[in-house]
Amino acid sequence: MLVFDHVSKCFGDLRAVDDLSFELEAGEVFGLLGPNGAGKTTAINMAVGLLEPDEGVVRFADEAFDRDPRDAENRRSLGLAPQSIALYEQISGADNLRFFGRLHGLRGSDLEERVAACLDFADLVDVGKKVVSKYSGGMQRRLNLAVAIIHDPELVLLDEPTVGVDPQSRNAIFERVEQLRDGGKQVVYTTHYMEEAQRLCDRVAILDRGRLMALDTVPALITAHGGPGNLVVRTGDGESRHETTDPLATLAELQARQAVDHFQYLPPDLETVFLNLTGRALRD
Amino acid sequence: MNKIVAMAAKDIHILFRDKLGFFFTIFFPLMMAIFFGAMFAGLSRGPASIPIALVDADRTAGSARFVGRLEAAGGLAIERIPSDQALEQVRRGQTAVLVTLRPGFGAALDNPFVATPEVEMSVDPTQFAAAGMVRGVLLEAAGAELQAFMSDPSRMSVTNEQNRRLIEEFSPPSEARDDLLNVLDQIPRIPVLIDEAGLGSVTTGATGGFGPPLEIEQTQVQAQRRGPTNSYATSFAQAMLWTLIGGSVSFSMSIAIERSRGTLMRLLVAPITARQLLAAKGLACLGATLFTSSALITLGITVFDVTPTSYPLLALALLCGSICFCGIMMVLSVIGRTEQAAAGVGWGIALPFTMLGGGMVPLFLMPEWMQTLGNISPMKWTLMAYEGAIWRGFTLSEMLLPCAVLVAIGVLAFSIGATRLRWDTG
Ligand SMILES: Nc1ncnc2c1ncn2[C@@H]1O[C@H](COP(=O)(O)OP(=O)(O)O)[C@@H](O)[C@H]1O
Ligand SMILES: [Mg+2]
Repeated sequence: MLVFDHVSKCFGDLRAVDDLSFELEAGEVFGLLGPNGAGKTTAINMAVGLLEPDEGVVRFADEAFDRDPRDAENRRSLGLAPQSIALYEQISGADNLRFFGRLHGLRGSDLEERVAACLDFADLVDVGKKVVSKYSGGMQRRLNLAVAIIHDPELVLLDEPTVGVDPQSRNAIFERVEQLRDGGKQVVYTTHYMEEAQRLCDRVAILDRGRLMALDTVPALITAHGGPGNLVVRTGDGESRHETTDPLATLAELQARQAVDHFQYLPPDLETVFLNLTGRALRD
Repeated sequence: MNKIVAMAAKDIHILFRDKLGFFFTIFFPLMMAIFFGAMFAGLSRGPASIPIALVDADRTAGSARFVGRLEAAGGLAIERIPSDQALEQVRRGQTAVLVTLRPGFGAALDNPFVATPEVEMSVDPTQFAAAGMVRGVLLEAAGAELQAFMSDPSRMSVTNEQNRRLIEEFSPPSEARDDLLNVLDQIPRIPVLIDEAGLGSVTTGATGGFGPPLEIEQTQVQAQRRGPTNSYATSFAQAMLWTLIGGSVSFSMSIAIERSRGTLMRLLVAPITARQLLAAKGLACLGATLFTSSALITLGITVFDVTPTSYPLLALALLCGSICFCGIMMVLSVIGRTEQAAAGVGWGIALPFTMLGGGMVPLFLMPEWMQTLGNISPMKWTLMAYEGAIWRGFTLSEMLLPCAVLVAIGVLAFSIGATRLRWDTG
């Protein structure tokens, strides 16, 4: 299990990650949600041992082991899909998978089996032999993800896997992530889209300027920090908005005064959670 | 090891996928080899094109016959000029070599027992190689002249008559004088006697033992050894050097490219060590440059008639040249951290060193201080090793120096590069 224990990382005067602590649980999709510059990529890079924390420790630990992220054994059990697409464009998708598979010690029929499985996972079977530079943005994103799991790791880290992707490919990637979770993997998923975190993540850590603002399941976060929802009603006088924690009671109250033609309830979401926690909108 | 090979294979795969890179590493050097080889083909078909100026200060039938012989020998392009302009022409660099036949030259040719024909050579200091070849042609012509004299009993009789009169006029009668005159009488009979004794088939030519002096033969051998027999031999050696340069620059860029494309991040997260990464880059560079340089020389051998003097030494030279440039590749990739920087730094460093090392203009045409300075250029040692195996006819011990220098540079540069290279992703 990945553990962050009071981890900080500075770039000059900037505290990119500031006293971050969390512990992954088995079989969950863990979200790191925060706007650009929140420190998500810096946290991921420390998790995979590309960066060393200035303070605190990152460990992989459970009852059986306690390892540094750089440990070779550890590297075999984690897969990273970097934020920017990291592929060899001059060679085919299958050759990319094959190459990284070899680096993880796969060979022979095992390797070919995994290559085929990953091409299938990324829905790239038909274009597996084409060079990557000929792929669309969405195909490259999917391959970027597939390369991360070529060695069938236990923990998969996906750093903003949907950036620059059309809605259809985005949905395809969501399905892949759910498929990973259903296959028993742990997933760390960073994003600045609250819908993604809300849809995919079992637990979400909300990051802002390197600080952990809150960490819990989505419903718990909303209950704790979402505040009231909004009931929008249309009557003969026009449209009005009412903050409420009990939309049914509020609706009954309004209806008793005047006939309601149409209503809509807007429950609090992670956007409002973020706004309430930081005083700023997630997307600016 | 499997992982290192996988990484190296991937790099080579990518190198040959990149059409422009491939052009620069193989086709560009090959074009140069063919272009320069064809350009110099006329020049090295023998010394036919060495231009010399000739002054005949003797102006006798003998000197004219000698000049005719020089012209017929085909080694020289002779321009006959008046003596007063001659030195000036050499000084201005218009002719490399000035040959003057001194007064009395013809008389000496016709009477080799009494005098030696004298020739004066004025040489442009940068043209010693050409002068050596001219000297060879002169000696050969003089030898032929002597041979012709010795095998012509009637000419010898005429000379003998002159010498007999000379002796009788200046020497008072004595026993020694009589003996001398007797010997003189016998000389023209030597070819006839050789024939009569049945030795005609044993000796070479009609003169028997009176061949040209042994030194002349030696001069000829040296003159031929001075240059390759086939101009493609030089141009392919240079092309092989260029393919090493192209390969090392490409590979130094490949590390920068891994960084900018983010694949370096994946490599660093994979279960491999920085040392394995380095080994893979080195191995890939070695494999690729060995392949391209061997491919070039194979083409030179099969299509352009280049005949290496030693294949084992050629293999050694190929290996050492590649080792050297893979080390250099490592240093280049430390200096150039981005793709553009790596390419710029690579070619920026390669060009002056190549110039200095004789990769563009042959070293012997450069001033001496530059030739000395050329010793710091790995390109010079690479060329020396390549040429040593291709046409200079190096022995193993002669080959050891350039090879040792190349391996030393390679190992040193690789370790400097390896310790300085920062495997960060930013
Ligand atoms: N290598 C670096 N050097 C200096 N500053 C950096 C470096 N990497 C990230 N930062 C800064 O740290 C902050 C967090 O960056 P990052 O972790 O990439 O955020 P996110 O992934 O959440 O967008 C940003 O302000 C960024 O500019
Ligand atoms: Mg990021």
